[in-house]
Amino acid sequence: MAFNEDHLPDLLPLYYKRLFPHSLFYQWLSYGDSQIFAKREISFTLFGDVYIRFQSFDRHEQFVQELHKKLPIKIDIGAVYQQRPKDRLTFKKLLPVQKEMVFDIDMTDYDDVRICCSGADVCSKCWKFMAIASKIIDATLREDFGFRNILWVFSGRRGIHCWVADHSVRFLGDDGRSSIAEYIQVLKGGMTAKKVSLPNEKIHHSIVRSLEVVDKYFVQSLVIEQDILGGDRLNKFLAIIDEDLRGTFKDILGKYKTSEERWKAFESTFTDLCQKGQIPRNLKNLKEEIKLQYCYPRLDIQVSKGMNHLLKAPFCVHPKTGKVSVPFNPRFIDNFDPAKVPTITLLDQEINEYDAKTKTLSEGVENSPMKIKDYKKTSLLKSVVIFEQFIRSIEKDLKALEEKNSEVMEII
Amino acid sequence: MDFTARKRKSIKPVEENPCSQYPHDLNMYNTPPTGEITLEEFETLAIHRLQLLRTLEQNSLKGHKIFSDEWKRCIKEELTKLELKKFVRLMNGLDGQTDLDYSARRTDHLSHYILRLAYCRSEDLRRWFINRELEWFKLRFMAQNQNTINRFLESNKLIYVPITEEEKDEILNELIMSTANMSDITIRTTNFFKVPFDEVYSLVRNRRIFVKMGYAYIPTSELIVCVQAKFRANLSEALSVANHRLPSLDDDRINTFLLNLYNSYTGKDYSTPNSEKEIDIRNLDNYSKKHFPLCMKHLHETLRASHHLKHDSRLQYGLFLKAIGVRFDDALEFWREEFTKIMDNDKFEKNYSYNVKHAYGKVGSMVNYSPFSCLKIIMGSVGAGDHHGCPFKHWDASLVKRKMMDCGVASEGIESILALVKNGHFQIACTKYFEFTHSLQAPSTTINHPNQFFEESINIATGEKKKIV
Ligand code: SF4
Ligand SMILES: [Zn+2]
Repeated sequence: MAFNEDHLPDLLPLYYKRLFPHSLFYQWLSYGDSQIFAKREISFTLFGDVYIRFQSFDRHEQFVQELHKKLPIKIDIGAVYQQRPKDRLTFKKLLPVQKEMVFDIDMTDYDDVRICCSGADVCSKCWKFMAIASKIIDATLREDFGFRNILWVFSGRRGIHCWVADHSVRFLGDDGRSSIAEYIQVLKGGMTAKKVSLPNEKIHHSIVRSLEVVDKYFVQSLVIEQDILGGDRLNKFLAIIDEDLRGTFKDILGKYKTSEERWKAFESTFTDLCQKGQIPRNLKNLKEEIKLQYCYPRLDIQVSKGMNHLLKAPFCVHPKTGKVSVPFNPRFIDNFDPAKVPTITLLDQEINEYDAKTKTLSEGVENSPMKIKDYKKTSLLKSVVIFEQFIRSIEKDLKALEEKNSEVMEII
Repeated sequence: MDFTARKRKSIKPVEENPCSQYPHDLNMYNTPPTGEITLEEFETLAIHRLQLLRTLEQNSLKGHKIFSDEWKRCIKEELTKLELKKFVRLMNGLDGQTDLDYSARRTDHLSHYILRLAYCRSEDLRRWFINRELEWFKLRFMAQNQNTINRFLESNKLIYVPITEEEKDEILNELIMSTANMSDITIRTTNFFKVPFDEVYSLVRNRRIFVKMGYAYIPTSELIVCVQAKFRANLSEALSVANHRLPSLDDDRINTFLLNLYNSYTGKDYSTPNSEKEIDIRNLDNYSKKHFPLCMKHLHETLRASHHLKHDSRLQYGLFLKAIGVRFDDALEFWREEFTKIMDNDKFEKNYSYNVKHAYGKVGSMVNYSPFSCLKIIMGSVGAGDHHGCPFKHWDASLVKRKMMDCGVASEGIESILALVKNGHFQIACTKYFEFTHSLQAPSTTINHPNQFFEESINIATGEKKKIV
């Protein structure tokens, strides 16, 4: 059965009651300390687009009760403050003290390079942009910065979010956050046709690594599927190239028809010119620059820079698509199909089917302690497992940190 | 330094053995000076320090690349003209041990501490002061040789141990790939230090070094960044402590003196909107055409054309509008009018009206934000699809050229503007642009604030009108 927006009010009560993993959610956001959860800003969007900011919940039960009562169509997670955000009127200023670092990548930022869809739509072809983005950012965060507690989430419609929850990251100030975000941001914006510049002979190791990811996709997904040099799109491509060289390429590429042939012609001409010494020094990396311009992650960097930016929580139901914002593993993102993300309608159906089947098998054991968790009866299972792994890795790190601290105490 | 109850006039400053107190040209300013000084000396020292810091800033604004030889030379010249030879002495990197050296270092020490009292009083002042002091520190640091630097680091307990040869061999390839502006040979021969990445944000941000598992590998030449970070952290904490202690400073004369000090010397920050001339919002298009600097004009035109602006653009433009005197209600209506052409009013209310209120300090932390200076705009980062920033810095030359033509700048003007842009003199380019769009009348100084551009442009226009009448 397809999702229908009008059914959402009937489906949400069941979702929050039986499927939304609120215990894990609580466990995550409290980081082993209930005070951390109590001072966290959690905002709700209700039916009719009523937006309630600066909520906070003292206890797990209270949070669950409010979910049942208010049935938010969106939950946003903000910072942990010095005081409880709900008491904010009694304080002069709410000071944020910690928050995960987050990244937000939205498909609409790729509208000028994708031809398969536009706006809110997404298909398996343009989803490749998200695959590239998550792989590049994930590797950078892990290998360069050594972060380990990272959660990737499909936003429910057309983008992806990333949460970095390592202890050291949560306490970073805006300066630290912006330095990481800018380290990752390679595309410069503004009104320039050329958005990546690698003027030095040497390319930074993090970009070299990103290029390895890009190379796996570039020809198939960009040159062929998005047809980036096909038809008139060639002009856009040529605009990236320096004025002095543009004419040469224009003449040669114009002789070919398909995007793929043109790209091949570009590559061989460029190599040729390089060998003849006709490419100025600062343009030696033109090929790499172009590849990155077309598919390097396009970040909304503001979201990452500030401590008090809110971001939609995992496991929300998108009110327009009915899809759940599920966590995913970037290593397997090539198998992730946004079209197959479970909708609330599907989950409802799965639960009912399962119950009907088992009811006939095991009449009367309804209250047995062996009762199986509801999400395990549905296609949400895989996503919850990923979420669990994320939380387990946080707890492991927290424990290690505690042990280290107590050792230090002993020495003192 | 304790300034309470310092009403007595002069007592000869206690000269504790100066060579042990001031062994280096450099100073981390971790220990306050001791002894007493007269009020006159206090005032003179304060003004001298301020002149020093202003000189540093102005030479950067003039377009000299900061820390370039040209910049340094101009600073030396100007300080000499101002009879501030003592500071010049500290720039020569000789690390001398004569009485003249000690006395220069004492002046440096005292005057730094005095200005702290004036510049601890608000976020903006602290930021300005810290940045200038950092420049002054770095300027002297760079003049030192390896020997004196080591001595200085050691005596301040800033110990850095280079990685071993084996460690270095293992990552040599990565170091060669990722260490900016350094030849392979230098990389092979210089020492590298492994420091947590959070000690060298500026190097991380610009991808100037190799980063692995949370550690940055920096060559000796970048050690200054670590030391600067320490310097910044210490100073910033000291300033906020000083700010809390201020009430104990009950000497009226000192207080008034300090207050006037920063008001008269940092230049206007345009944080209080111009209340005399209120801007009629209906004439905004006209103002934009005639009196806005290019950065704001572009934002205005983009908003009119696409009925939308991203967050940073809204901030840059919104605060500018506030400072030229657009009232809060008008501003809200103005943004609403545009945004609701592509969304319903609910969505505007929910997602965007907050911004406007925020800019006017009506919600959130209720801070009254000051509009962005050119420096802030030029240094800011501009992402894909953004329209904020400074056109001279962030646009392609060809686009600047086209825009100049649209604005009716004469072709010799365009040429000189493009040449300035090419050499990184964005604010001077903007100043030239001002001249060519105001019948060759120059603004009073180099443009350093979009609101200054606007104000001077209006002044010229109203002056003209009077002439005609
Ligand atoms: S120099 Fe300043 S006023 Fe001129 S365009 Fe750039 S930011 Fe705007
Ligand atoms: Zn698509």
